[in-house]
Amino acid sequence: MPRPDQAAPDLDEAVGAGLDRLDTPTGARPASLRRRFVRGFLPPLGALVLLVVIWQILWAAAFWPETTLPAPLDVWAEFVSTINDGSVFGFIWTSVHRAALGFAAGVVIGTPLGILVAKVRVVRAAIGPLLSGLQSLPSVAWVPAAVIWFGINDAAIYFVVLLGSVPSIANGLVSGIDQIPPILPRVGKVMGAGRFAAARHILLPAALPGFLAGLKQGWAFSWRSLMAAELIARSPSLGVGLGTYLNDGSSYNSMPKVIAAIFLILFVGVAIELIVFRPLERSVLRARGLTTSL
Amino acid sequence: MTSTLARPVTAAVHLDRVGKVFGSGGGAVTALDGVDLTVEPGEFVCLLGASGCGKSTLLNLVAGLDQPSAGEITLTTSRPAVMFQEAALMPWLTASRNVELPLRLAGFGRSERREKAAELLDLVRLSDAARKRPHELSGGMRQRVALARALAATHRVGGDDGNALLLMDEPFAALDAITRDVLQSELLRVWRSTGTSVLFVTHDVREAVRLGQRVVLLSSRPGRVVREWHDVPSADAELLADEITADLRKVISTHAPS
Repeated sequence: MPRPDQAAPDLDEAVGAGLDRLDTPTGARPASLRRRFVRGFLPPLGALVLLVVIWQILWAAAFWPETTLPAPLDVWAEFVSTINDGSVFGFIWTSVHRAALGFAAGVVIGTPLGILVAKVRVVRAAIGPLLSGLQSLPSVAWVPAAVIWFGINDAAIYFVVLLGSVPSIANGLVSGIDQIPPILPRVGKVMGAGRFAAARHILLPAALPGFLAGLKQGWAFSWRSLMAAELIARSPSLGVGLGTYLNDGSSYNSMPKVIAAIFLILFVGVAIELIVFRPLERSVLRARGLTTSL
Repeated sequence: MTSTLARPVTAAVHLDRVGKVFGSGGGAVTALDGVDLTVEPGEFVCLLGASGCGKSTLLNLVAGLDQPSAGEITLTTSRPAVMFQEAALMPWLTASRNVELPLRLAGFGRSERREKAAELLDLVRLSDAARKRPHELSGGMRQRVALARALAATHRVGGDDGNALLLMDEPFAALDAITRDVLQSELLRVWRSTGTSVLFVTHDVREAVRLGQRVVLLSSRPGRVVREWHDVPSADAELLADEITADLRKVISTHAPS
């Protein structure tokens, strides 16, 4: 019997090329900029407007005294005054650079810790549960201890931020590594990858989506912990961050200031997520074909 | 490949009374028992057997992923290349970067990697897909990238890849019939143009008859070599397939509960 591949190589090539053409997945075209704006930006804006409208109605109905529920316009005026005297940029800078430094230190500590927990069985058995437990412990609980150990200074604040971010970052990396299909390290092994080459070329890039999720959560926890620390540990030497500003509002019994501070804290957290983490996550997931909706 | 002429002609891989037992004591399972097998340089051998015959175990042993419990395995190549049933490409790398990965691990420089990867992708007719990522390719195309990557893994710095050995563990089993058919002929074409030795594991008799120069039938639990067919390409494919199928059925029927 003649073998088909010997009989008609030309036809075979054409069949192969045809199959390639037919079987290649066709990706949906990315939506236009305008469409993405309409889909991504308008709904949250609408929700915000609705919130302010309800707030205005509740204020106008005067259910609560002015000192409890200020008018939206009063809060806006407070916000504008901090912009006019430039103080708001100082608050944001103080807090954001602290959170960023703390977060960076958290990445430096959390990454090797995550690799150790994921790959060394004894380490996982020993501190794996502790690490997960720490994740659910509100890091504000560490503030009194930090103040006693370090005094009211930057060290105490960074300590609290680290304890907030490290467990999330390490756990994210652990779950990222755990979710790697076992065939990929096997492929690395048959290609002769040593321990470090395998970690660098296979393990870490394969774990990147999980790691990124951990980083995102780590940032959120850094931010939260920092606000808690700034709110509690106050000293003129520490400068005025957003948490301090919030505390000032509370001390002066100024509800517009308190609400403006809360909005600012929320705004910065969301802005960092949207500017830094969302695009990073999107490009990583898109490169792997893991997303169609983002 | 002038370097092959200089060396004494030895088998690409030689298995001598190889056995493999999993577990110990009462629960021990003998996967392989006294398997003798030789693949000559440039030869295409198909290893055929039903489920549980230890085909994949045998391939893992040759690949160095596992150690035999008995016997000895001799390889002329320092490291055989392996292709699995899944393409197992790195999803974050483009097709050409995937092919470059083993070259990178072997210590090739960047320009040499690029050049070799482009050549290999051309060999599997995927030059146009070099910049695509695995999720943008069809199953058959992914398996061809995996083939190019496996061939890349046979390259050594210094240029001596004359004794390349390719181990294939049912690489086309998950593909649809037409794609499988096309890939089988692609594999034959690539094998002819590279002179690589191939040890190909399959449970499909027709696939074994179509691809192999030699077909080796393994029994199940424990895996032993039952029978070998030489000069497969010169035989009548239909008749031979029927004959081998009959033997395979016989092997399987011995496992019926009595």
